[in-house]
Amino acid sequence: MIPENVMNEPSWYESSARARINGLLDADSFSEILGPVDRVMSPHLALFDLPPAFDDGMIIGRGSIDGRSVAVAAQEGQFMGGTFAEVSGAKLVGLLRAVARSAGTPQAVSTVFLLLDTGGVRLQEANAGEMAVSETIRAILDVRKAGVPVVALIGGRAGAFGGGGLVTACCSHIIISEQGRISVSGPEVIETNKGVEEFDSRDRALVWRVTGGRSRVLLGGADAYVKGDIASFRKSAAQVSNSVPSFSLQTLEQEQERLEQRLQAYGGCRDTPEIWTIAGLPTPDGIADLTEDEFIRLLAKEGIRHDAR
Amino acid sequence: MTDWTKQRKERARRLEEVASLVSGKVVQPASVTPLLERIICSGDRVCLEGDNQKQADFLAECLTQVDPSQVHDLHIVQSGLVLSEHLDLFRLGIARKLDFSYSGPQSSAIARALDQGKIELGAIHTYIELFARYFIDLTPNVALIAAVSADRNGNLYTGPNTEDTPTIVEATAYKNGIVIAQVNKIVDEVPRIDIPGDQVDFIVEAPKPFYVEPLFTRDPGAVTETQILMAMIALKGIYAEYRPRRLNHGIGFATAAIELLLPTYGEQLGLRGEVATHWALNPHPTLIPAIESGWVQQIHCFGSEVGMDRYMSARPDVYFIGHEGTLRSNRLLCQNAGLYACDMFIGSTLQIDLAGNSSTVTPDRIAGFGGAPNMGSDAHGRRHVSDAWLKAGHEAAGHDGPLVRGRKLVVQMVETFGEGMKPAFVEELDSIALARKLGMPLAPVMIFGDDVTHIVTEEGIANLLLCRDADEVEQAIRGVAGYTPVGLARDRAKVEALRQRGVIRRPEDLGIDLLQADRNLLAARSIRDLVTWSDGLYAPPSKFRNW
Repeated sequence: MIPENVMNEPSWYESSARARINGLLDADSFSEILGPVDRVMSPHLALFDLPPAFDDGMIIGRGSIDGRSVAVAAQEGQFMGGTFAEVSGAKLVGLLRAVARSAGTPQAVSTVFLLLDTGGVRLQEANAGEMAVSETIRAILDVRKAGVPVVALIGGRAGAFGGGGLVTACCSHIIISEQGRISVSGPEVIETNKGVEEFDSRDRALVWRVTGGRSRVLLGGADAYVKGDIASFRKSAAQVSNSVPSFSLQTLEQEQERLEQRLQAYGGCRDTPEIWTIAGLPTPDGIADLTEDEFIRLLAKEGIRHDAR
Repeated sequence: MTDWTKQRKERARRLEEVASLVSGKVVQPASVTPLLERIICSGDRVCLEGDNQKQADFLAECLTQVDPSQVHDLHIVQSGLVLSEHLDLFRLGIARKLDFSYSGPQSSAIARALDQGKIELGAIHTYIELFARYFIDLTPNVALIAAVSADRNGNLYTGPNTEDTPTIVEATAYKNGIVIAQVNKIVDEVPRIDIPGDQVDFIVEAPKPFYVEPLFTRDPGAVTETQILMAMIALKGIYAEYRPRRLNHGIGFATAAIELLLPTYGEQLGLRGEVATHWALNPHPTLIPAIESGWVQQIHCFGSEVGMDRYMSARPDVYFIGHEGTLRSNRLLCQNAGLYACDMFIGSTLQIDLAGNSSTVTPDRIAGFGGAPNMGSDAHGRRHVSDAWLKAGHEAAGHDGPLVRGRKLVVQMVETFGEGMKPAFVEELDSIALARKLGMPLAPVMIFGDDVTHIVTEEGIANLLLCRDADEVEQAIRGVAGYTPVGLARDRAKVEALRQRGVIRRPEDLGIDLLQADRNLLAARSIRDLVTWSDGLYAPPSKFRNW
């Protein structure tokens, strides 16, 4: 069979951050803030003999989706692993603060999209990076409080690990593809600290079974699952803004309860097929082997029990 | 009076020796080593079926356990020397002499053993060359082979990996030799008979299924933009120019990139149905998108590939499938097909010298030849014509006419800098140093320069057919050698003149947009995409997964 979306649509996983933005937004609608020509670069990388990037691997700006005004930030996962660092962090935090401040004004945007593709904090500028993560989290919560949804799109090569995993979890809504991964400690980190018996980072099927898009969406760690082409991400992103629950104390309390129940039910499991067995899913061992269409049908039947959003 | 039946009597004597160890044709696993000790005599030529993929690993292990004081000085004649047990035979003094084709994972160990004098090397062959010698002067006395199942009469079902087995058995059984098969299972009735039971003397049910090496899987996720550019250059500068319909692809990422570009870039060039319709090819998973989009009419296979069996069984219009429903491969016949019935071979190499000689030998590794020298050589016995073959021949001759025969297109693809930024273009091949070290009269060269018709690098194509003397060949090669020392030493004026004549063609000469060389141009960008293309029929080994 000829899989049209694989064949004809550029893949999110394969594409650069800029190509993702171009595919996500209405044609020619993107206007970049602090673009490469402004050359706001990392002041630290030269110390390590590492080449900087003109945009520090963080692309921010505004544009529109189906005519609605949105703000967007995209990490380039192929530059330094898409890391949170001083300049890239400041660009992201600045964008989020501007969105929060402009809420209710003529400059307001309807939604913020975060195209995260990151291994976490950039080790060469770790302190600035850790601060960037915490400032980003604070800024995301302020934007949500101002009534503007913050949507994470996860499907890049680097996944969303470390601080990137935390930032993702703080968003209003998460869209993920099969290849997307969300976690805090990455597979190699777990293996290094706890040994290969705890987690074999080279067992690729295991890595995706635990951190990958299918498991995340089935467990409620993501709210929408899309095929891996850019057009599918765009379609899902365009539908999002009305489906996000309010950011209230009640929502958080309900979510806390749901997470406690989840821990109780699955806390003893070593691998996701054990979870699917307890959850009563059909073919618990074969979830990873379903075709995309089969999995999307399964998801439609099971429904999505989403996290604190 | 001359005794004309000495071999037959010797065979009968040996069979008699082991009568107490067997029940009909069936041998118990524990009896295999004692049986081998009695049935194999010192100095015998033994084929311990090691193919490119399938390995008679249980019989190999048993053979390493025979008493070297009883059985020694064996002459091993087999295509693939792949298992560590194969080398143990030499280390333990059970075997002494070796004639083979391919060593793959044991290539360093063989080089060391040769260096230490543990192996007396007959020759390194191509596959069909060794098979040919099975029938002339390297006929095995004993063949130890592998199959999927056997019935009690010794009829064998080899499964999709038939590979070398029919050839080995033919040579051994009809020349008074002894054939012993390890099978995964002894059954009442085999699904199909690949080897008739009257050619098989003994069968043993091995404790675990025979090992098959996955060799032909290339992860689309690891294809680089440089390889995509080279594939675009090859498609536009060679496939579209010569229109070869019948061809063989070597293993490697460069050819995998071509396979993955057929449904996209190849389609843009309007080549579907015009090129690459008939193949001599291993079951490359990366060809699935081209098959599914209607490029391929049929494929004959040397062997199989791990994970491809269900897909091929479901595509019997494309592959050669037995009436019972699984692939039938055959290395001898497919190699022959590649030699005589293909208009083009295209494959990767490691080193190319200034005469276009191409080699995969490094100073400390002897990987052997396998099939590439036959796939990548002009068959002088060929008499049928095709447009691609004639066009190449006419370019080489500089004219056409009733006595100007064609040429096979033999294309070598190589990035100017290989692994570890080692230049692929060299003044002298490493294989010459190796030959000097081991005292070999002929250096191991994969494809000689006089057979190579085109060299493709990311810098463009050098068309050696259009070169009129050795100096032009040298400058054409330097002209596509980029920033390697060989490339930097080019004569600018001569290279520019060759470019004017179309001997060298750069991507811009071909109208190729470098920015189009993007991974999104691949019809499948991951192993997962290949599974999707195959309707879930392709089942890749888990090391290739990222889901």
